[in-house]
Amino acid sequence: MNNSVISAKGLVKEYGQGATLVRALRGVDLDIPRGSFTCIVGASGHGKSTLMHLLGGLDYPTLGTVIIDGQEVSKLGNKELASLRAKKIGFVFQFFNLLQNLTAKENIETALMLAGVPDHEQEGRAIELLELVGLEDKVNAKPGQLSGGQQQRVAIARALANDPPVLLMDEPTGNLDSEAEAEVMKVLENLKHQGKTIIFVTHSTEIAARSDNLICVRDGQVQEPQAFKKAS
Amino acid sequence: MTNTNLVFKSLTRRKGRFLFTLLGIIIGMASFVTFMALGGSLKSQIERESAALGANLVVTPKGSCAYEQVSILTGEQLPTNITKDEVAAIRSIDGMMAIPFLAERSAIDNRPVSVMGILPGETREFKNWRLAQGEYFPHENAEGAVLGSVLAEQFGLLPGSEVRVRGSQIKVLGVLDETGGKDDLTVFLSLPVAQKLYDQKDLVSYVAVRVDHLDEVELYANKIKDKVSLGVVSDKQMRNSVLSIVGTVNITLQIIAAVAILAAAFGIVNTMMTATYERRREIGILQAMGATRTGIFKLFIFESGIYGLIGGVGGAVLGGLAAVFAAPLISQNAATSFVKGAQSSLDPMMFVGAILFSTLVAMVAGLYPAIKASKLSPVEAISYE
Repeated sequence: MNNSVISAKGLVKEYGQGATLVRALRGVDLDIPRGSFTCIVGASGHGKSTLMHLLGGLDYPTLGTVIIDGQEVSKLGNKELASLRAKKIGFVFQFFNLLQNLTAKENIETALMLAGVPDHEQEGRAIELLELVGLEDKVNAKPGQLSGGQQQRVAIARALANDPPVLLMDEPTGNLDSEAEAEVMKVLENLKHQGKTIIFVTHSTEIAARSDNLICVRDGQVQEPQAFKKAS
Repeated sequence: MTNTNLVFKSLTRRKGRFLFTLLGIIIGMASFVTFMALGGSLKSQIERESAALGANLVVTPKGSCAYEQVSILTGEQLPTNITKDEVAAIRSIDGMMAIPFLAERSAIDNRPVSVMGILPGETREFKNWRLAQGEYFPHENAEGAVLGSVLAEQFGLLPGSEVRVRGSQIKVLGVLDETGGKDDLTVFLSLPVAQKLYDQKDLVSYVAVRVDHLDEVELYANKIKDKVSLGVVSDKQMRNSVLSIVGTVNITLQIIAAVAILAAAFGIVNTMMTATYERRREIGILQAMGATRTGIFKLFIFESGIYGLIGGVGGAVLGGLAAVFAAPLISQNAATSFVKGAQSSLDPMMFVGAILFSTLVAMVAGLYPAIKASKLSPVEAISYE
């Protein structure tokens, strides 16, 4: 498994306790190959987002281990985990989650600032990233002035700010029309060719079909992809 | 992008809320600075007046309380219970200079002013007055008035013009040089003329005494007490007694201002708590991007601090302006008329102190919201709809 950028073993995640105990993940084992385009699929409420949060170091597992680029999440404190997220993972969310009062460039600069990039180096890097996603003409546009597809591309550019090896995307095209989805997928294709590992949580069988590693989550466990295809 | 930029952009996102919260702290701080400045100016003015009185001892009617002592320094009307014989007895003591004063009040253009009956020659020497315009009283019983410089300026009075005191038109003889004290706001008449105008035949309000040797003040106080049955108070006792009253007033005013600041601080707590709830998702995004809990805490505490800093600067400027310009309009009494000479108590250190205090209060107010914000888990924050 030397080629895995993220691996999980015996992953259990529980919320609440006693009568309100919810077991969102019930022992997940998986490996995400470096440079792969991995799709995590499954119906709503079956643990996809919980899995994504754990794989991205946003949360600690109740049991089991998550190793991100050689570092075991459970052994890291809040500060180290924040640092790991800043350096190793780029997050993209379904609802873009851009900071609405900042321009496209400033959104990216904020991520650069959090990664410790000096102020004077931020602008050039932010513009480079906007060029990478084809939005060089929207540098000073605020999210409200951009289409859904454009906002998501800004979010991708922001996720790439610190050149992380892994892009973790939670239904990034779930809120987009097919044209905007195509724009985003084109950007992701390019990133894959550049060697980025892309983990893509989706409901879409079409996107899942384009993946080279498919993980199907059902009832908090990983199932054979075939089951997803049949269910779909 | 820097933390400072991010904080300012967050603060000004909701401009109305930012402005109203800011106004709360500006008003609170302005009242604090105004009261501090006025309190400071009253204190320094009392000290100036005490020095300007030029006396080591003041003889007052028996049973005078601190209020009368304040009145001596502020030029308020005083009971006139000291008789001509008592004055003569005091003045007969060698080794000291004793000057009687009749302190009365009148009004010019419906604004109250002090009127003082004096022994012209001796008082001029005692107070070391210089004349700015016109002439001084030619003799001890001279008709006419000599005016303090500020009063003459306020009412546009010049030598030759007339001033109405207790129904009588009195010619202005001259105007004194500025003294920096209450004498600047006083109409001076010769003692016999004042006594006649106010029906106080042979009576005066108090006697100011200056002893030749400073180390004998106590001895002379006893000598005066032996001669007459009147109250004798040293300038130090009088100053301390007046300052203690002023101090109490100051503390009361500052407590009122502190309540205003406390209310403004809760305004900040409220604003920052609202911001914490509204920006949950944003906090989650920042955490996903690698912001640490300490980083989030700093952002929020910095935002609160900015309220305090801007509010402190605004409050200090507004409060300073209020102390200089608005205070004299609040009341026409002698206390606020001091404000003309109050610039000296607008101490730059007080402004710096007020700004630092305001920033500190705002940061303390922002502690709870900042802790709440920093304790949000990334998953909880991102999942917030």
